[in-house]
Amino acid sequence: MIELDVRLPLTRFALGVEARVAGPCVAVLGPSGSGKTSLLEAIAGLRPRAAGRIAVGGETLLDSSNGVRLPPEKRRIGYVPQDSLLFPHRDVAANVRFGLAPGPEAARVFEEAVSILEIAPLLAQHPGTLSGGERQRVALARALATRPRLLLLDEPLAAVDPAHRERILPYLLSVRDRLRVPFLYVTHNVGEAEAVADEVLVLRAGKVAAQGPASEVLRGPLAGADDPEAAFESLFEGTLEPAPRGSGTAILRLPGGGALTVPSGGPGGKAVYAVAPEDVILSTAPMTGISARNVIEGRIEAVDVSGENAMVRIRAEGGAWRSLVTAATVADLDLGIGRPVWLVVKTQAFRRLS
Amino acid sequence: MSAEDVSVLLLTLRVAVLSVAAILPLGVAAAWLLARRDWPGKGLVETLFSLPLVLPPTAVGLLLLDLLRRRGPLGRSLDAAGIEILFTWKAIVLATAVMSFPLLVRPARTAFESVDPRLPAMARSLGCGPLAAFGRVTLPLASRGILAGTLLAFSRALGEFGATILVAGNIPGRTQTMALAIFHRTQIGDDAGAMRLVAVTVAVAFVIVWTAEGLERRRRRREAR
Repeated sequence: MIELDVRLPLTRFALGVEARVAGPCVAVLGPSGSGKTSLLEAIAGLRPRAAGRIAVGGETLLDSSNGVRLPPEKRRIGYVPQDSLLFPHRDVAANVRFGLAPGPEAARVFEEAVSILEIAPLLAQHPGTLSGGERQRVALARALATRPRLLLLDEPLAAVDPAHRERILPYLLSVRDRLRVPFLYVTHNVGEAEAVADEVLVLRAGKVAAQGPASEVLRGPLAGADDPEAAFESLFEGTLEPAPRGSGTAILRLPGGGALTVPSGGPGGKAVYAVAPEDVILSTAPMTGISARNVIEGRIEAVDVSGENAMVRIRAEGGAWRSLVTAATVADLDLGIGRPVWLVVKTQAFRRLS
Repeated sequence: MSAEDVSVLLLTLRVAVLSVAAILPLGVAAAWLLARRDWPGKGLVETLFSLPLVLPPTAVGLLLLDLLRRRGPLGRSLDAAGIEILFTWKAIVLATAVMSFPLLVRPARTAFESVDPRLPAMARSLGCGPLAAFGRVTLPLASRGILAGTLLAFSRALGEFGATILVAGNIPGRTQTMALAIFHRTQIGDDAGAMRLVAVTVAVAFVIVWTAEGLERRRRRREAR
């Protein structure tokens, strides 16, 4: 449980966030400059001017009316800022060890952080030689090594070009599943938020514009609508079964019982795949005799027309899908809420994230 | 090298090391306060710190002399406490410390200013108290500039002339440093002796600069790894 009642004057507006989120995994959405980073820094204790009340898991970190203000070193908040803020004078191993509490557990905690984030090959390097995604992983490992009660992640460059960006999300999923550390995750990727979060907080100009379970908040057109950087991938977590050798395809078993045909590659077992909304074709009739391997029946949940384009949200096997079509298509095919449709997706349109 | 040459060299080195050791903690603290904190009178203190750079060294020497003479404002209490400074090696330490202080503070201050303040904040978030964050993050990141300032200060301390000669005199074997001895020998016509000392200073300067450059090279290699 995270209880927030944070007030903090900023240059263009005042942050005034009041929310109680149960978590454990909370996505924070909102356009750039809506106060997301300031909120994270206030929780971490890095904004001395923050007032109000912050409590995490029943422990009060800030209660300005009662004179309670834990210094950052006493908060046990694992903060991963947008620019990673690795210590440039220390190598990766020393960065990860920086906040490691000494004790019999230390070696195990260190090894665990290194193995979850898969940074063992980087340990001897200096931060200046790492790629952006590697820096993020090291920063996340460094935060985990302090055994935080809450992780705060400020994800950078999330959605500009999903195909070529390294992603922190797969690692975050293994942190969620293996360590069970609750987290607050800032992202511009609505699909990611849906896949990873139990709860979503939408900020706009320093205020909470929407809040609630991911499936509800992300249903409407609100989330991400005014965020020019927002991305609307559909993400699927499942178990990968290697297909016969040489076929080039593999089967992703979804928790709900269905399956997707995805390109083979990478180890079997737990896997996350993403597909961009422009790669999801809609058909109003069941299709046979086509080359695309995935034809999935679903039902339209939302249609959000903006200009010449429309984002259509479909509930189908695996959860929420998004398809980007033209506004003309919406009219021609009479795509409306509740209408049954078939999703057509080529195998190669799926990208593996983990 | 004669025995006298050696004693001049040792005195000079000892005095320079002592004066740098004395101003290092003060200078680092001052540099950090100037770089990271706002306080009333900051501009005035800044100007005062830089004065020795601008004033003729002999002027600084005369001011110190006036301050420390037996009837002077500071000299009186020092005299009462039985502490004798003027015309001893302590006076050289004092004069060189005052003269080299701004040379340490300037680069150190710039170095502190160039450290991203969010890095020590990050260290706090990772469990460090304010002092530990300073010692583990701010100080090492500013160390290059502090080292540069220390070297400048040390060099000035080795070669200081004007202020030293006024407060410490030029007593052979007691307060005669390298710079004073070279001048003194040329005055009495011992050109060969002066040249020997010049050779020694060149060697000392060479070793210092070489070591500093070597440290810097090693550090660059390490960070590029």
